[in-house]
Amino acid sequence: MTMRRELTFLLALWKANLLSAMEYRAAFISQVIGMMLNNAVYFAFWVIFFDRFQEVRGWGLDEMLLLFAVVAVSFGLGVYLFGNVMRIAEAIANGRLDYYLSLPRPVLLHLLASRSIASGFGDFLYGLICFAVAGRWTPDAVARFVVGSLLSMIVFLSFLILVQSLAFWMGSATLVSAQAANALLTFSLYPITLFDGTAKFLLFTILPAAFIGAVPAEFVRTFSWSTLAHLLLAASLLLALAVALFQRGMRRYESGSAIQVQV
Amino acid sequence: MSRRGLKYWAIFKTQLINGFAYPGDLLARSLSIIIFLWVFLFLWRTTYRAVGQERIAGLSLRDTLWYLMLAETIVLSKPRLSSTIAEAVRDGSIAYLLNKPYNFLLYQLSVGLGDSILRLAFNALAGGLLVGLTVGPPPPLWGWPLTLVTVIAAWLIDFCIAATIGLTAFVTEDVAAFEWIYQKVTFILGGLLIPLDFFPAWLQAVAQALPFAYTVYGPARLFVEPDGGRFVTLLLTQGAWLAALGMLLALLYRKGVTWLTINGG
Repeated sequence: MTMRRELTFLLALWKANLLSAMEYRAAFISQVIGMMLNNAVYFAFWVIFFDRFQEVRGWGLDEMLLLFAVVAVSFGLGVYLFGNVMRIAEAIANGRLDYYLSLPRPVLLHLLASRSIASGFGDFLYGLICFAVAGRWTPDAVARFVVGSLLSMIVFLSFLILVQSLAFWMGSATLVSAQAANALLTFSLYPITLFDGTAKFLLFTILPAAFIGAVPAEFVRTFSWSTLAHLLLAASLLLALAVALFQRGMRRYESGSAIQVQV
Repeated sequence: MSRRGLKYWAIFKTQLINGFAYPGDLLARSLSIIIFLWVFLFLWRTTYRAVGQERIAGLSLRDTLWYLMLAETIVLSKPRLSSTIAEAVRDGSIAYLLNKPYNFLLYQLSVGLGDSILRLAFNALAGGLLVGLTVGPPPPLWGWPLTLVTVIAAWLIDFCIAATIGLTAFVTEDVAAFEWIYQKVTFILGGLLIPLDFFPAWLQAVAQALPFAYTVYGPARLFVEPDGGRFVTLLLTQGAWLAALGMLLALLYRKGVTWLTINGG
């Protein structure tokens, strides 16, 4: 019953975000198209790279297409539906949680979904195009793509919540969060076989970029129970940790009771 | 220095001193270059091993990494000029800046330069340390001053392009999309992610016919293989692009200010 109520609430927030974006339709469309072009130009690096070197440790253009498809869909959907995920630290430091605390809704969920980043929709569409170009159109591959991308999105959101919740203890964690998000995205967009030893260990633990890019992309390529289990475990563990840390941080939260208007 | 020059020198100096007030911030920002270069180190080390050659397109692994270090340093030290100008146009604060006794574009140039210099030093230091420790010593010292001259010219070309994008806000209001695309074009055709030497011949020719290559590739390539002839050619090409883009910027600015007056400021 509670789940259903929160879901209805989420849908209402997303609808409000969409209606608000439609008020500035030209800006929304330009951001979506701009981001798709932006990603396409970035992908040109790999086209040039593999044109010259064919493959690197088992990775070629086809593998990169799937990797970009998963990361773009998960990141795009994440920031489009939960746009405040990039601003949690800022909200904590500026005392902006007061607004959410005064309403009878889960603070974290309400905060995350209260904003939508239009360019995220461009990333999402770009990811779908990459998947279409990769040519894996069988129903089971599509199902694996949906599952893999959703789990990747959970890992991405959870990691950002975790890092940004540090603002409860550090005061300002905006720069740390920005660097962490930057590192996470950078590493998730490279073939995992490039890294070995300590680097690989870090990408599966402290900076879980492997669970955002390489592991779900591998799952889309070939089904394996163990890959699915790893992904599920990473996503649920990180989500539980993120929610727990945010809740714990909330006990320390204090603000100057500034009067703020939520627009 | 003329009185006019002194004014901009003072703005530049103030911005520079301002940067010294936040050394922690500068250090934290330098983390980005470490992250990117660390990924590049793995990518290119693996690639050179896989190809099994000491040199690819005339560049050794050490050359490639030092090239990428300077390329990243240049790009990561740039100010976010387009969005700053666009924001000033959008929120109307440009009207407040326009009635001050200075030229708006020269003011932005002085502020941007003051912001960039410290970042450039910190990024070069952090990136240089990582590359030096992992692939070996930097290119010959005598080429460094030549490279610095071309880095300044590259910065000025980038300023003209970024300011032009920022000023399109007079018409479009939102310039984010143009900014991303320019950034990514620099990544590829500018040679930030991969030296142009690794491109197919036709794409190399296209890239070298555009200004982006002279904002990143030119100085970074000169850095790893310093040569008097290469320096002169590069500087002349940079000068030509600077003149063309500078004129375009001045023209757009004059038109834009007129447009702003029509709207009431």
